[in-house]
Amino acid sequence: MGSTVYAVEVIMHPSVNEPTLTTSQLRRIYTMRQIQWADGLRITVYVLPRQHALHLRFSKEHLQMFPYQLDRIWNKLTYSGLGVAPITVNTPEALLDAVRKTPGAIGYVENVKDEETVNVVQIKS
Amino acid sequence: MLFKLKAKMVNRPMEKLFFVIFTILYLFAINIKAAEQDFQFHGFIAQGVIDVDGSDFVNDDGSFSTELTELGINASYQLSSNLRLAGQVVYLNGGNRYAEGVRVDYALLDWSIYESLNWQANIYLGRVKNNHWLYSSSRDIPFARPSIILPQSVYFDGFRDIAVGTDGAAIKISHNNDSFGDFDFSFSYGTSNISEEQTKNILSEYALGIAEQDYDIQTSMYWQPAFSSWRFGLSLLDAGFTYDSAIDGSGDMFSDADFTFQFYTLNALYEGERWEFSGEIYQQRFTIDGFYFPDFQRDTVGQGFYLQSRYKITQELTLLARYEDFYLDKNDKDGKNLEQITGGRVPYYFAFHKDTTIGLNYDFTSNFSMRAEYHWVNGAGRLTPVVVPNTEINDSEDWQMWAIQLMYWF
Repeated sequence: MGSTVYAVEVIMHPSVNEPTLTTSQLRRIYTMRQIQWADGLRITVYVLPRQHALHLRFSKEHLQMFPYQLDRIWNKLTYSGLGVAPITVNTPEALLDAVRKTPGAIGYVENVKDEETVNVVQIKS
Repeated sequence: MLFKLKAKMVNRPMEKLFFVIFTILYLFAINIKAAEQDFQFHGFIAQGVIDVDGSDFVNDDGSFSTELTELGINASYQLSSNLRLAGQVVYLNGGNRYAEGVRVDYALLDWSIYESLNWQANIYLGRVKNNHWLYSSSRDIPFARPSIILPQSVYFDGFRDIAVGTDGAAIKISHNNDSFGDFDFSFSYGTSNISEEQTKNILSEYALGIAEQDYDIQTSMYWQPAFSSWRFGLSLLDAGFTYDSAIDGSGDMFSDADFTFQFYTLNALYEGERWEFSGEIYQQRFTIDGFYFPDFQRDTVGQGFYLQSRYKITQELTLLARYEDFYLDKNDKDGKNLEQITGGRVPYYFAFHKDTTIGLNYDFTSNFSMRAEYHWVNGAGRLTPVVVPNTEINDSEDWQMWAIQLMYWF
């Protein structure tokens, strides 16, 4: 049973008061078209490196996009001064930690454990 | 000194503004207290080899070259909820393609004037980067653009520093609609400084006077239907330049002149899981009033397109194929008229530029890649100098080049 595949869960810092998000909203947040939550709190978006298996699954399953499409959007923002891109962290553990510590943060993990102090968001298509 | 700043490329007020922006960014870079989400710092380093056979695209003697160096660093700092500073400095060595040295690609204040769930409006002030064409925002970023050498009829390296950014202001309005998709509208107004070296690159090595850009107005609109793999865009450009001949007796053989340039593009992009298609179709109008002699007048309309396909064999390996076809004068596609009016001094093949390219990209890691490509080029219409071409070195209609580049970024 070593190869159990868990669902990719979208997580947020407890300061964010949004129990559900639609796929369109999530896509808007990850393509940096929405940069603050409805209450005005700035969104901080965390991602794993573009070749990470979990990033690939998150992109396809939750955003219905391919990692290279996200790279193109983020590179444009970062390297033309138009805006800021998500913050890349190297491991799922570091990503969970960053979301837990940053008000307004959003990210994703595989297999959320009960004791973790982050909100798990329901995604509606 | 390798990293000497090309002072002539930056005029006085802009110099002061850049100094302020980069000083603030530097202070935050060394101050660790700046939170990660407020301060971002990125960069890239790329080095390659390039060999051109049959033109002066990279060097005059046609030898194997390592003049394929690109280094860049940029920073962004969120000053307040609606103000942000951003800037990027780049060092380039590309042989004849552009002036070797350091330049500021952008240094700007980003003012978020309106923000809602579906709308964003921003005003950018300072040196703003051109984002109007399909690859204009990535043309100077080695790993983000699709190939080492881009389609020269649009992304002409000879015009690089004029086309990459402009000193002035820009506005961007983005809208997202669950039913109709994403809309992006941009408008920019400003001027670019033209260095002495660029004047010689664009006009002629014998041009001793001063070239200036008087205005540059650009606008673009992009639309991606909701959850579609397609995106469509259009862009318009209008720019004016003047040439002030050097004073009498200095030996400048050219007269005072006005130049205007208009450029219109339509583009489309398809992004599938493995296949990617893109293309741009464009028309340009270039007028010359003076220059060769005081009453000289010319008004030409050029046209072109390129089609590009990329195929991802694996997550790491991507193949590229592209065809580009461009005529400087739609009424003189074979260049016979050009050869005739110049009395045979400029051969017919300076009237067009056709480039067939194949290439591959391999990603070793998420931020380290290698790229290789081969170009078969027919025509000399996109070689420098532009206005008075070098027909001695560029004595063949067909020429080829290959290049390999390693790229790392963070």
